[in-house]
Amino acid sequence: MSKIYDVAVIGAGAVGSSVTYYNTLRGADVILIDKGDIAEGTSSKSDGNILVCDKMPGFDAKFAKASQDMFPALSEELDYEIEWRQKGSLYLLETEEEIEIAKGFCEDMKKCGIEMRILNKQEVHEDEPLLAEDIPAGLETISDGSVYPIGLAYGFALKAEKLGAELSLHNPVKGIDKEGDLFIIHTENEDITAKNVVNCAGVWSPVIGEMVGLDIPIQARQGQILVAEQTFQVARRKVHEFGYMLTKFQSGTYKRPVSERVERNGVAFVFEPTAANNFLIGSSRKFAGEDISNDIEVMQALAERAMRFFPVMENIKIIRAYSGLRPYTPDHMPIVSGTPVPGFYIAAGHEGDGIGLSPITGKVIADMIAGDEPFMDLSPLSYDRFIK
Amino acid sequence: MKKEVVIIGGGPAGLAAAIEAAKCGAQVLLIDENKRPGGQLFKQIHKFFGSKAHNAGIRGIDIGRQLLKETEECGVEVWLDSAVIGLFADKKVAVLRNGTTVTVEAEKILICTGGAENPLRFPGWTLPGVMGAGAAQTMINVNRVLPGKRVLMVGSGNVGVIVAYQLLQAGANVVGIVEGMPKIGAYGVHAAKLRRAGVPFFLGHTIAEAKGTEKVEKAVIAKFENGQIVKGTELETEVDVICIAVGLRPLSELAQMAGVQHDFIPELGGWMPLHDGDMETNVPGIYVAGDTAGVEEANTAMDEGRLAGVSIAHTLGYLKDEETVQKKNEIKDRLNALRQGPFGERRLNAKQRVIEKGEAV
Repeated sequence: MSKIYDVAVIGAGAVGSSVTYYNTLRGADVILIDKGDIAEGTSSKSDGNILVCDKMPGFDAKFAKASQDMFPALSEELDYEIEWRQKGSLYLLETEEEIEIAKGFCEDMKKCGIEMRILNKQEVHEDEPLLAEDIPAGLETISDGSVYPIGLAYGFALKAEKLGAELSLHNPVKGIDKEGDLFIIHTENEDITAKNVVNCAGVWSPVIGEMVGLDIPIQARQGQILVAEQTFQVARRKVHEFGYMLTKFQSGTYKRPVSERVERNGVAFVFEPTAANNFLIGSSRKFAGEDISNDIEVMQALAERAMRFFPVMENIKIIRAYSGLRPYTPDHMPIVSGTPVPGFYIAAGHEGDGIGLSPITGKVIADMIAGDEPFMDLSPLSYDRFIK
Repeated sequence: MKKEVVIIGGGPAGLAAAIEAAKCGAQVLLIDENKRPGGQLFKQIHKFFGSKAHNAGIRGIDIGRQLLKETEECGVEVWLDSAVIGLFADKKVAVLRNGTTVTVEAEKILICTGGAENPLRFPGWTLPGVMGAGAAQTMINVNRVLPGKRVLMVGSGNVGVIVAYQLLQAGANVVGIVEGMPKIGAYGVHAAKLRRAGVPFFLGHTIAEAKGTEKVEKAVIAKFENGQIVKGTELETEVDVICIAVGLRPLSELAQMAGVQHDFIPELGGWMPLHDGDMETNVPGIYVAGDTAGVEEANTAMDEGRLAGVSIAHTLGYLKDEETVQKKNEIKDRLNALRQGPFGERRLNAKQRVIEKGEAV
């Protein structure tokens, strides 16, 4: 009989790599399987924001904060350079109405232990001198930071390998059978036997779920990013428009004063400086199947929105654009839970938060498999919530 | 904005294609990033040779003028100073024009953006004064500026030899032509002119180093055997310009962006788009012609452009089947004739491989 693994993790993005790492840390015998390479899917098409500012007050914010708090230690314990930088983040408030919503939001977040403060007009312009003159206010989140997402996934996976985990890359999963308490995972190269399976396949997790008869309500939500040339400092840290929250959650009645193409493509301004002195501009949201080609209209809308907040960008060149797929769930919360199939777990559906939530996701899945009580009530992330 | 046909690149291939398609009634937009169309024709002040059907005895610059006149006469819309920055899904062409990006939706796209000169890396290759032969040719023939007084030419293909002769005509002293291979690459008729002018050819030699502080002051050449410089054979000479003419490669980034299948065809410049016998690629409605479709010369570029123009006009319904077959056959006969002889045959065989592979995908 072939080897029996304690845990087989399917999907080597940031989430799957983290699940592999934390299970390995607990002494489990783990194998990480992917159809491609480490971080080949969504994790290499994302930005590297580690944010709490874009979470809903309550469970969402607390869960994200718990994950964010793990990064300083991770940047020490992983052997790979993950470029963890914690400079805080800045929301730009564009209208009086946004300022009102932001004030309430700020109060609610403070109650969850998230340190935020409103910046008045003078303060926000002192904070970012190249900002468009008319921006009336900002909202600062102290603890936000960023990482190099590909480095993070590699960091988790390679450290896990060093500690004894096996990596089985470029090896697509073809089917899964259950024999007694064991899972037989049929892959292109071999059959792999494991006591537990964690589905971390992100956008592709419904395909894996179907192999054990589970219907996973995750859809691909496409996003595009523009990459600027190396340049002077446009902004010193992560800056985004408060309207980002509105495009992410599609809630409330407030409408931003934006052009039709910005609205149509779910474009909200997100700025992320990189360690290499250039910057990334996001964000867009669109359901387009698995299409990851760039769309010129979205690119134009991204640039239009960026120049509205930082007019100085008019003279900065865009050198690249890329597009990726976020794993979207209908309630914007990931699925991090067991399932009606004993021993089969799901850690997927983090939409745009997979990089930031990867540490805590890996840790709680390892807790669940070891049979430990979770550090907080995780029912908002249960698979059951989608069973009618 | 919608257009039936968008042609990217207004060199010989693009102009000839535009004329052919527009004469049949198609609505054609020709886009070029330069301030005037014509591509490289306007720096080709030498007479073409070959048969009469192939513009023998006519200078490239005059062919360019004639094509421009015809383009105007048949109602082709021309956008100059306009750079195509990308091709997107559903044949959307993004054009940077007057400081803003315009999107044109095309039914058919012809990519004929030409070729780019291959660089050559050696110590000192970034010093001012080291330049592509094409750049030197533009300076003397278009801008009327002499790039330097003492020039070393690296590469003895047609480009290297023709530009060396034109540099002589423009008043420069060409101190020599360096060629890594054991024989001259260019047509004998071009090479003979330089020989008569007393310009030495250093066969089996290569450039070893460019020396200078602020700019090129000296060139070091050396014997070149089995891909290696032979130590101890270095020769040094004073120059202020080193021209690099070591071949061209197809400029096909737009075709790659559009998902066109590529392959490595060394005889035609390397990595290049595959196409069928009508110049259409595996992406329906996207065509290539000229140096983009494999580096050759202006006459083949023009005929490939015409072939693409006829195919496009036909698929858009502007040409009857019979007329189309007749026109295509005439052009294909001319192309075959152009690809004869010791130089042409390699290209003919390579082109046939491109088309076979292109029709298989």
